Formats: sequence, C-alpha cells, structure tokens
Amino acid sequence: MEKEKGHRHPLSQIMTEVNAIFSELGFVFAEGPEMEEIRYNFDLLNVPKDHPSRDMQDTFYIENKPDHVLRTHTSPVQVRYMESHEPPIRIIVPGKVFRNEATDATHEAQFYQLEGLMVDKDVSLGHLKGTLEYFFSRFFGGKTEVRLRPSFFPFVEPGVEVDMRLTGDDAPEKLRGRWIEIMGAGMVHPNVLRAAGVDPDVYQGFAFGMGMDRLAMMKYGVDDVRLFYTGDLRVVNQF
Amino acid sequence: MKVSYNWLNRYFHGQLPTAEVLVEKLTFHAWEIEEAEKVGSDTVLDVKVLPDKSMWALSHRGIAKDLSVILNLPLKDDPLAIKPVLEPKTDKIVIKIESPNCRRFAAALIRGVKVAPSPDWLKTALEAIGQRSINNIVDASNYVMFDLGQPSHAFDAKNLPGGILVRPAKDGEKLAALDENEYTFTKDDTLISSLDGRALSIAGIKGGKNSGITDATTDIVVEVANWDPVSTRKGAQRLKLRSDASARYENGIVPEMVPFGIQAVVKLVLKVAGGELVGYTETDVADDTKNRTVSLDLSKINSVLGVDLATSDVTDIFDRFGWKYEMDGENFTVISPFERTDLAIAEDVIEEIGRVYGYEHVMAVTPEPEPLKEVNQRFYYTESIRETLTGLDFSEIYTSSFREYDEVKLANAFAADKGYLRSTLRSNMTEALQKNAPNADVLGLRQIKLFEIGTVFSEEGERSMLCLGAQSPSGYKAKTDDPAISEAVSALSEALGVAVVLQGDNAVCEVDLGAILPKLPPVQTYQPAPTPIDATYQPYSVYPAVSRDIAMWVPAGTASSDITALLKEKAGPLCVRATLFDQFEKDGRVSYAFRLVFQSKEKTLEGGAVDAIMDGIYQAVRERGYEVR
Repeated sequence: MEKEKGHRHPLSQIMTEVNAIFSELGFVFAEGPEMEEIRYNFDLLNVPKDHPSRDMQDTFYIENKPDHVLRTHTSPVQVRYMESHEPPIRIIVPGKVFRNEATDATHEAQFYQLEGLMVDKDVSLGHLKGTLEYFFSRFFGGKTEVRLRPSFFPFVEPGVEVDMRLTGDDAPEKLRGRWIEIMGAGMVHPNVLRAAGVDPDVYQGFAFGMGMDRLAMMKYGVDDVRLFYTGDLRVVNQF
Repeated sequence: MKVSYNWLNRYFHGQLPTAEVLVEKLTFHAWEIEEAEKVGSDTVLDVKVLPDKSMWALSHRGIAKDLSVILNLPLKDDPLAIKPVLEPKTDKIVIKIESPNCRRFAAALIRGVKVAPSPDWLKTALEAIGQRSINNIVDASNYVMFDLGQPSHAFDAKNLPGGILVRPAKDGEKLAALDENEYTFTKDDTLISSLDGRALSIAGIKGGKNSGITDATTDIVVEVANWDPVSTRKGAQRLKLRSDASARYENGIVPEMVPFGIQAVVKLVLKVAGGELVGYTETDVADDTKNRTVSLDLSKINSVLGVDLATSDVTDIFDRFGWKYEMDGENFTVISPFERTDLAIAEDVIEEIGRVYGYEHVMAVTPEPEPLKEVNQRFYYTESIRETLTGLDFSEIYTSSFREYDEVKLANAFAADKGYLRSTLRSNMTEALQKNAPNADVLGLRQIKLFEIGTVFSEEGERSMLCLGAQSPSGYKAKTDDPAISEAVSALSEALGVAVVLQGDNAVCEVDLGAILPKLPPVQTYQPAPTPIDATYQPYSVYPAVSRDIAMWVPAGTASSDITALLKEKAGPLCVRATLFDQFEKDGRVSYAFRLVFQSKEKTLEGGAVDAIMDGIYQAVRERGYEVR
C-alpha cells in the first residue's frame, strides 16, 4: 500500500523557515493578540487619533468594543515586548493581521505579517540592511541585494521602503535580477521607544514589517494569495 | 498628488532635467512616483506625498523646492522667500470669528473683475493635472492651491454685504454645496456666513452653491483662511466630503501660509480677470516669528543612518535646503522653515540628511549572532503538533477568521458574509471536509484528514485552538470514535505528555491550546527545523475527475512500482494519479489493485474517452503476461 502523508500548510513552512533563519542571529519569536487594543495598534505607535496617518491602514473595528480593533499590523508587539523586556532586544513577530479592503489576487483582508525589531545602543539603518540581506539570502538561496528608498510610517523615523533583488544563479527565474518592493521599515521612532518605556537617548533600533504570504507566493510561485485560505488540499498537498 | 513637469519647470528657468530623471531622483530621494503620464506636451507625475510632509509638499512649490535640494539646482524664485505685507487695508469687509476652528483668516475685496474663460496657459496647467477649468476667477484660486498648497475661495461680493462671519453651524442646519449636494450640519461644523448669519460655505471643505462666482459677478471677495486640522478632518469624515482643500488642512498646512496665499490669488485674479484691489483685511495675528529649532550632532547622524559623514557633508545639505543653522564643533542647531512643522526632532532632520545624501551609501552590517534568549513555547509545541499530525496523514489548513454569523460582530464589515469573527474552528473545518471530499481520488486520499491551528474570538476574548476533522470520500461522516481521530488524539497526548481532550461531535472536534500549553514543560531550544521544501505551485484543474480501477495478478516478486510505471505510460498525460490501493499474495502470485484518476485541464472528460484509454491499458497489461482480474 502506498503511504499517505500529511502536509504542512505552506505558510507554516514559511514560518518555520523564517524562525530558523532569524534564530541564528538571536531574534526571539514574539507574539501578541489578533484583537488588539487601539492604543497598542495606533496611539503608542505614534499614530495619533484624528490624524491622517490613521488612514494609511484600513481598519476593522469591533461592535461594542470601541477600544479594540483587529490588529492592522504586528507592530503592536514591538511595544508589548519592549514594555516587558530590557534592551538589547531582537525579536521577530510572525502573525495574522487584518485590513478592511477589497480582496483580489494580491490582497486579502487577512494575511500574515513578519515584524522584526532590533534595539540596542548603536543600531543603525546599516544593521537593517545587513539583517535583511542575511535573511533573504538564506531564505531564497544565493545572493540578495537590498536597497532603501525614503518613505513614511508613523512608528519609524527615518522611514524607508525596502526593495530586494535576487542575483544568484539558483534564484527562481521569474524573480532573478529584478528589483522587488518587499516591505516597509525604518528606525524606531523615539516616541514609540518612550511609550514602551525605553529611553531614546540611550537606545535606538530598527523595525521592519513584510507580508509572509508574499514571501510564500514568491518562493512557491503562487499567483493568488486567497488560495492560502481556501482550506483546499489541492493547494496544501502540493507542499 | 498630480504634478505637472512644465509647471515645475517654471521654477527653474526651464533648466530641469528630463521627466525620466525626475522620476528616478524623486523615487530615491523623496517619494514614490505612482505614475508618469504624457499629457500633450507635458508629463504629469503622480507623486505619493505621505502624511509627514503633506503640510508643505502638496504643492508644486513644495515639490520644486525639494527637487532644487536633490538636484542642487537653485529655484529661480521661491514664492515663500519674502513675507508678504497685505496692503492696502480696507474697512469695507469686517471679519467676525466665532468659531475656535479658525486659526487665521484674511479677505480681499476686488471690484470690477470680468468673469471669462481662463487664458490658455492657466487652462492648460489645471487640465494637465486633471482639474476642470471653470472660469478665470475660480481657476486663479485653484491654481494657487496647487501651486502653493494654500486653499482659498472666491465669493460674489453681493453675498457678503459689509463682511464675513465665521461661526459654528446649528444642529440640523443645511447648505447646498458646489458639488450640487445638500449637506446637513452639526454644531461641530464650521460655516462661513454673511454678517447676518446666512450660510455661504463649509469652512475649509467646500464652497456653497449660491454664493460663488457667476457670469454676472463684478465684485469679488477672496477668502483665505487656516482651519484646525482635527476639526476639519472630523467634519469632512462626518459629511463624507473630502476635498483638495480639506486634505491640506487635515495635514496641517501652517497658518503662516495665509498671507502668501491671498496675495498670490489677488495678483493672479488681477492678471487674468482685471479689476481693482480695494484692499485686504485680516484677523489679528499673533506673533508668528517664533522659531522652532532642532538640535543634533554628527555622531547621532552617523549612528542612525549607518554612514560616515563629515560636518561639511552635513552643512552642505543644510545649505542646499537653505536652512538657517548654528554649528558648534560637531553639534548643530537647525531653525526649521516656518512651513515645515515636520522638522521637530533630531530624527526628522536626520531623515532629511539621509535621503538627500542617498540611502545607497548605507553600508550593510550583519548583526553579530547572539544566542537565543527565549524559545517561544507556543510555537515550539504547535510545531510538534504539526509534526505529529502530518505523520498521521493529516494535512494542515488555514481558513478565514470571518464568518457570516457568529458571536463577535465587526462594526464595519467589508462584506455581508464576513460580518463576524469565528468563535470556533469547527464550522470552517466542516466546510473544508465537504469541499475536499469529492477530490479524494484526485488527491490520492482514502480519507480526508485535516487540522487547523488558529485563533477564535468570543465575548471573553480570543483563544488559540487546534481543530481536527476526518471524512471519507463518500460523504459519510466519521464519528468521534473514528479510528483516525482517536489515533491522532492518543498520538498528540503522547507527544505532548498530557491528556488531550477534544470537544465536538462526529469527527470534527477542537481543543483550546491555551489550556494545554501552560501544563507543558518549558523548553530551552527548538527542534531542528525540517528541511525547507522546494515546491513550485501548479494550478489545479477545475474540471471533474474520472476514476477507474484495475486489478491484476502478477508473478511474486514483481515490484508495484514497475506496474505503476507501465500504467502511467499507457494512460498518458490525462492520468493525473495512479494509486495502489490493495495488494495480497496467493499461490505464488500477487494481486495488485490500482486506482487511476483522469482529469483534463481544458475540459470535462467524457467516460467514453477514458474507456478507450483503459482498453489500451488492459491490452498492455495482458501483453506483459499479467492476468487482469
């Protein structure tokens, strides 16, 4: 008889791989609630109430719970972790997030984000670049270049968009040699450090956030993010 | 914001490099360019100005100023360089402010204008950035908004006998606006009205329908004001009326822009519509000469950016911005320009230095590896649950957190069938089992066995759950004593070292991991991660599959893989799966039974076509000397 074998969901496989790579550098797997207090999702992340920066993420609110939202990003865990841990800090936060927007092949109202945070006395954008190059090279195999472009996210200053380019011969052909916009990042805003009880005159750090579904789509050649959430084994059992 | 290349170029004596170069420079030193589009002899860039810089950069002057810094190319003439004096004054318009939302207000009375279509240059400039040309007066006001970022509004002076009253709206008060809609206000809205209280426009958001410029207008009042960002934002949200003007107030354009704005509008009106300026009037203006300063030092700059700048590199960038600053050794104190409230702390200025200098100079530094300070217990044990269950042929699914109906309701659901959060994983599991059951043959499965690890929500909060499900392809629902489930439960209990008790019925059941995990022993290191798989996803066929079984006697010692290879070869590309499902030995012979599954990616297969393939297979099997059973 042929042995049947169960399959891990592709996003679980990505999560395992991500954790293994970041563990090598000492990044701890941290987590927090999916239904989050508004102050963690916004206020403590330097996104004030009634400010246009709140429009940058379409948010699900909860009926009869005016102080909660479905978290729009994994960044609240930055604050939660810093509140309970002293620097130096190195964490990743893989977790489910929610955006109140129309779904299509590249957008889901729910998806997985990978947050990263490193806080110490002398952490710079150079460490961000180095950490990401290390991660992408390990994750996709072969050589990866990373470049930064100016951008804005309220919880970082300076804020950057990160593009990556796979240059190794073993990179997937569709991705090889092409710059791909992959995430937002930056240096943690002093207001965020202060709100979390870390002295910004002593410590500084970088943070980044990228889509894990996007990583999975790129790595496995999946062309529709919604396929991950259909519960269909014709998808899962290919992995 | 849509930005015209030709418009920008007027700031540079026509000396700008090509639009392609601007796109490249802006992308790597300022903002993303969402689109660059040829419009006639112009190129229009859609510049993604983000909230941090929107108080000064939602304007051609703002973009031009930034380009002059990035390109190190001086502006021909910066309209914000010299603070305007509003002269002559007039007492023909009185301004009364009764609303706290008004931060500054100025008006100008112009008599004898001739309302007419705009001159071509003005029409072309506005149309290039997607604005409709209305008439010379309205266009002048719009032009200044897109040029300097300062909104303004022109009234027919006959609607404002003697002056202007800025007041809170009355609850339930209504006004028809320029967009032909009637809006109903609350006392939190602010209206501009005549001195006797007749509402004329919605402050900072939209002009009124019946107070604007008509072909018969000869005398106009130009109004330029500054409105509180939060009140404007709330008002625009409440009225569902976001305008180019309200966006600029929401983003905190500074009150000091008011005199620049009104002087520019008046100048342009006189140029394109003639008439005579009677005079200006403005509210008492507090002294706005106070300087905001930001202090920073060289080592902080280099340590945040990860670069190695000298003081002269830093001062060179300050000079390109035209900022006033003081320097003491390696310490700098920068005086922020009045329009840039975004420069408040050292990091804000460091960003400006970084982006102008260029992030390509940031050198990558991989952090020295450190031992892990913590192992995530939940992740560790969910990994061992995955390992255990996949070893028992269970496959993992992720399903939607949303349900059509459940306990916790979203306040602003996107779709009616996604209005609630799941309180259990079991409903999604049941649906997934049913959905997968018809595909069992295609998948080569005798039973659909699934698990999900996910978060559920109730009034009490959220919980992390594990759900198991099993179903045979016929649609028969296994019971809780289904061997697949009981086997999984005992394997889990053994792997975790505690008794795992699942709640549920049939063979769909779940357990709260939050109740189990605290009982498990703490762990110090992760298990080695499984080797990453190297899979490339293939889209599956949406057409139904056809299954056929074949059984045969073969001599003992014949490997089933040889038979499988033969079957696959003869079955051809439509055969998507050949599964051995039964075998036994008798009298020196082996009986093998296979299930062949046929499926096309292009169409629904007809039984006859599959039968023909099967005939070929029977023949090939017999030719090998095997007996088909």
